[in-house]
Amino acid sequence: MLKINNLHAVVGEAESQILTGLSLDVPAGEVHAIMGPNGAGKSTLSYVLTGRDGYEVTDGSVELGGKDLLDMEPEDRAAAGLFLSFQYPLEIPGVPTMTFLKTALNAQRRARGQEEMAAPEFLKKARAIASELKIKPDMLKRPLNVGFSGGEKKRMEIFQMMMLGPSFIVMDETDSGLDVDALRIVADGVNSLRSPERGMLIITHYQRLLDYITPDKVHVLAGGKIAASGDADFARLLEKEGYDKYAA
Amino acid sequence: MLPSAVIEKLPHRRMEAWKWTDVRRAVRDEVSGLSSVMTPRFTAPDGVSVTQGAAHPSDHVMGRLAQSFSDQSWNIYIPRGAKAAEPVLIEDMNRGHGRFAVMVDEGAEATFVEYHKGKAGSFANIEQNIHLAKGAKLIRIIVQDDPDDMTRIATSCIAAAEGTKLEQYILSFGGALTRLETRLYGEGANIEAVMNGAYLLSGSKHTDMTSHTELSHPDCYIRQSVKGVVTDKAKAVFQGKFLVRRDAQHTDAEMRHDALMLSERAEVRAKPELEIYADDVACAHGNTIGALDDSALFYMRQRGISLAEAKALLTEAFLASVFDDMDDEDMRESLMGQIKNWLGASYGV
Ligand SMILES: Nc1ncnc2c1ncn2[C@@H]1O[C@H](COP(=O)(O)OP(=O)(O)OP(=O)(O)O)[C@@H](O)[C@H]1O
Ligand SMILES: [Mg+2]
Repeated sequence: MLKINNLHAVVGEAESQILTGLSLDVPAGEVHAIMGPNGAGKSTLSYVLTGRDGYEVTDGSVELGGKDLLDMEPEDRAAAGLFLSFQYPLEIPGVPTMTFLKTALNAQRRARGQEEMAAPEFLKKARAIASELKIKPDMLKRPLNVGFSGGEKKRMEIFQMMMLGPSFIVMDETDSGLDVDALRIVADGVNSLRSPERGMLIITHYQRLLDYITPDKVHVLAGGKIAASGDADFARLLEKEGYDKYAA
Repeated sequence: MLPSAVIEKLPHRRMEAWKWTDVRRAVRDEVSGLSSVMTPRFTAPDGVSVTQGAAHPSDHVMGRLAQSFSDQSWNIYIPRGAKAAEPVLIEDMNRGHGRFAVMVDEGAEATFVEYHKGKAGSFANIEQNIHLAKGAKLIRIIVQDDPDDMTRIATSCIAAAEGTKLEQYILSFGGALTRLETRLYGEGANIEAVMNGAYLLSGSKHTDMTSHTELSHPDCYIRQSVKGVVTDKAKAVFQGKFLVRRDAQHTDAEMRHDALMLSERAEVRAKPELEIYADDVACAHGNTIGALDDSALFYMRQRGISLAEAKALLTEAFLASVFDDMDDEDMRESLMGQIKNWLGASYGV
């Protein structure tokens, strides 16, 4: 489903080389975890996949469901089913969460040639998912993420994810900043989206999240590439031993 | 008066108050309206009278010019204690010189809605002298949208007596050259005024929002927020001044101007000024000129919103606060609708 081949990327004005030949294959239906030291390039990978300005691919390829991702604008990648739960979700002043999401959902639908979702159906869906994630309705009326706590922002990322129903999900440290109850709620949400048609890439520093969402594979990102891979138990080993032996 | 003689009397950039809005240079003598009298159209609710009569002399450069074409003005009178149910509409201010005298008598309340929409190749000069008698309340909604070869100068001088309330909301889409000037003179204590405005300028349009607020009595409350967006080669000018005299103790006054500059060739000139002689006052001013937040734009695009739509949403949200405090929901919706239309057309949503 997601096929990353020999990906090289530079970042910023200084064009520092962050990714140096990263290859990774996440087939449909699988959940892969990526772990690795601070500054290894995990968030960089998520931004390269989603097409953020300032992250330049110098070599390699990325395909999602057979389509060349790197050629597409960020919004077209989203319409193709790619969703990123941000490590640091942005605040969107003045735009109520519901307006934002409805605009996003219908923009994606139009781009895919589907009909827009009518307001009542949208509201019903939003209410149901909000209650599943224990999000208070009045929060959905506030400008998106403005003044939300760290944990609330993360929960709101999952809310958006469940509303948009993407086919490939990248989660960048969604577990950081969540209390135990929130972690369970978020994990339940994510698990409910697991399906044979959907792939996921979960970036995390902690085994904790992987206790709830069991990955099919665990990879170490170090030195700008995938330095080692293993099964779900590998995460436990990494947490114990650290990344010293994978240092570039 | 010949058009060329009129042009000689127009203010120009070597005059300090007009340094960023050079009217003389903008006007050619073939434009229509330079030496004619305006014929506005009024819709007034019951109890509000509109008559023509002798005008008071003006001490403003554009007012004096208007005066040289007519010693008459349109006089609009809101009687003592009257609370007009419907707004007073002023339309067809599309060319020529027009003089207006508005009197909102003691305790009266009125809403004025003015549409300043001109015709191609014309010139309009509007002078309004507004008097708010003790305890009167006036809401002004001013929508201006002119073709890109039209020059418009509209000057309002407002004298506000004790305990008066003024709310003014301007929405300006500019023209070849547009200047919307408000001069507020406090003539009593306890005046409350909101003087907000938004401008949205594309192409080579120019809007100048200039204001002068002069307080001489205690306990006045002034809030001014002007926000705008400029694209292409458009130019915006904001000049705001609070002059707080010695006896205007406990003045609580705040002035803000915030602009979004969406193109490198666009221009924003701002001059917020405080001149304060009273010692027990809370006066502040702020001015920002910025761009849309790239990170926020990326976040929105990641959710599937196109770049154009993301820009439009952020700009709309940025401007909306200017009209937040309007009581008339329908009017607010209508103004926001016009903003959305402009954003749709200018950003290509
Ligand atoms: N705009 C930029 N200009 C220069 N260097 C950058 C820029 N953005 C990121 N970097 C660098 O790229 C490297 C990778 O950063 P990245 O955020 O991808 O790491 P990470 O693996 O997500 O780390 P963490 O675990 O702390 O979230 C870091 O050394 C960082 O300083
Ligand atoms: Mg990171």
